[in-house]
Amino acid sequence: MQYYGGCDVGSTYTKAVILDENGNLAASTILRSKINAAQSSHLAMEDCIAQVSGLSSTEDLSYIVGTGYGRNRVPFAQENISEISCHAMGVHITDPTVQAIIDIGGQDIKGIAVASDGTVKNFAMNDKCAAGTGRFYEAMARSFEMSLEEFSTLSLKAKNVIPITAQCTVFAESEVIALVGEGKAPEEIAAGIQMAVAKRCFVMAKKAGAVNHITLSGGCAKNEGLKKAIEKVLKIKVVELSVDPQLMGALGAAEFARRKGGR
Amino acid sequence: MKDLKHRVLFEHLLSDVKNELVEQALDAGQKALGYSCYYVPEVLMNLDGCFSVRLRAPGITDTAIATYYMSEKTCMYSRSILERAIEGGFNFFSALLSTETCGMMHRAHEHFEMLNLVKEQNEDFFVSHIDAPFVTKDYALRHYERQLQKHVLDRLHEVYGVETSEDALRRAIEKHNALCRVVSAIGALRKQENPPLTGYEFHLIELVSECCPHDLILPYLEETLEELQIRKADDKPWYRVRVVLAGGENDDPDFTKLIEDSGAFVVADRYCFGSLPGREEIEIRDGETALAAIARHYIDTNECPRFMNPEKVHGRKQYLKQLAEDYHADGLIVQQMKFCEYWEYERMYCQHVMESEYGLPCMGIEKEYINTSTGQLRTRFQAFVEALEMKKLTKEA
Repeated sequence: MQYYGGCDVGSTYTKAVILDENGNLAASTILRSKINAAQSSHLAMEDCIAQVSGLSSTEDLSYIVGTGYGRNRVPFAQENISEISCHAMGVHITDPTVQAIIDIGGQDIKGIAVASDGTVKNFAMNDKCAAGTGRFYEAMARSFEMSLEEFSTLSLKAKNVIPITAQCTVFAESEVIALVGEGKAPEEIAAGIQMAVAKRCFVMAKKAGAVNHITLSGGCAKNEGLKKAIEKVLKIKVVELSVDPQLMGALGAAEFARRKGGR
Repeated sequence: MKDLKHRVLFEHLLSDVKNELVEQALDAGQKALGYSCYYVPEVLMNLDGCFSVRLRAPGITDTAIATYYMSEKTCMYSRSILERAIEGGFNFFSALLSTETCGMMHRAHEHFEMLNLVKEQNEDFFVSHIDAPFVTKDYALRHYERQLQKHVLDRLHEVYGVETSEDALRRAIEKHNALCRVVSAIGALRKQENPPLTGYEFHLIELVSECCPHDLILPYLEETLEELQIRKADDKPWYRVRVVLAGGENDDPDFTKLIEDSGAFVVADRYCFGSLPGREEIEIRDGETALAAIARHYIDTNECPRFMNPEKVHGRKQYLKQLAEDYHADGLIVQQMKFCEYWEYERMYCQHVMESEYGLPCMGIEKEYINTSTGQLRTRFQAFVEALEMKKLTKEA
């Protein structure tokens, strides 16, 4: 059996996936990124390799593709492909009906329109600041002295939404602290935060040309409150993926590896 | 490919506005004339006794003072120029020839006067403003010609005694055309399937032709053309796709390099001061004065989105389509500096027309004057290259 690897070195988390020659998911892992991208990629791929019997090192994989912001620094990858193409491919092989993706990563938001063959039809990207990204959520959760998981469901209990006006992560954190200090309901502030991010996602999705069958990928896709807010602004139900949405980049990279290495 | 003989020299010449060739010309008593817009004909600033210097601010990292005067909602280019002027980077100028075409840059130029910049070093220094037309009608052309006479030629003659006769203008056109011929001949090599130069190298060549005294840089360009005519390209083309780069001000060769590092060969440059159509020769028609020919040329070949008449609005898109065909491009990248008043609109419109009407894949980029966050830009370019590559493969299949 031949195996193929994909390694997505993100700014916050590093993800790795191994596919077998038939495209079945053989192993996957998600680890917090180290400051050194090469080290992160090694740790993630070694963790994945340990899950597959018969594999002992990256040498045993027939082809490996690196992706993510650290894609150029995956030492064992034969090739690197942008995370935009990889997310499109990862989502496409998970659910071919999906036509658009909102990828909310650690440091940017991307809207990606996917063609019927899994290639990128169009994309838009917010990379000017950290507002609405994973880093932003970490700062917000910190303001509430909560874990990310706790914070992601906090807004679901809100009856009202307190709008957050600041776009910048730093200013938004100050605004949230002020609102908490005023004694406003935390769940309503949280709902305001989710709505602010959902609006940014809406713009990215529309810029990329997304209309129907939209899904979320990236670490923030697991944020329930955000998902609900996005559904509200887009006025459609977000497509649920059968594979962890945080793995989409690595999965796409592994699929590219399978297609290229299997030639 | 073997390195270009003068590549390092060209990079060095672009690292400072007052480079060694500029200093050589100043030592010879020539007057340096600054400009930052295609509406100020470069040829007029290269009359005998003077030379043109394109306004740039290489390596600028901070625009604190300029931002105070102009606000942060103005384009980074105009602020960078003002900041560099405040730092004293343009103190060698004898004049700054300005237009009111782009409002933000015009404000920056006004600050040269309001803050008494350069004048402390050279009391004859002046800033002259041209009123440029929005349309290409005959009356607009005549107005433009009068403006050039009054605000460029007359001022240069009055203040510095520059000869501005018909003969002097014709001599300047001949010299200008000689430079254009060489740059265009080099640029045309990019049409080849496996060209002997990169878009980055060409960007350097085009930029030094704008930033150095023409008579001093021409021998280097001629030598480079000869070198390129026999330079052996690598056996296989190095690029994955070919793109036309269009848009507003772009004097950063590293931006072109970033695109090319992602696998896209920049085959044609159509931005403020790109070689297309900026390096077309000026033709004097029968019965035309030299100044009339210059005015007509700079209106006819002007691709600025400031022009509002329908022929120009549609013509700009058709020109890009033609470039893509002539240079065998797979796609188009339209870059625009943040807060650019004209390209902000033109970029969106251009993207829509190129994709929906001409079927040419197009990517829009909003950039800064100096791009520091190259990681994100690299991701965008790479994704665009991958998408173009896929389209190419699908088409071939």
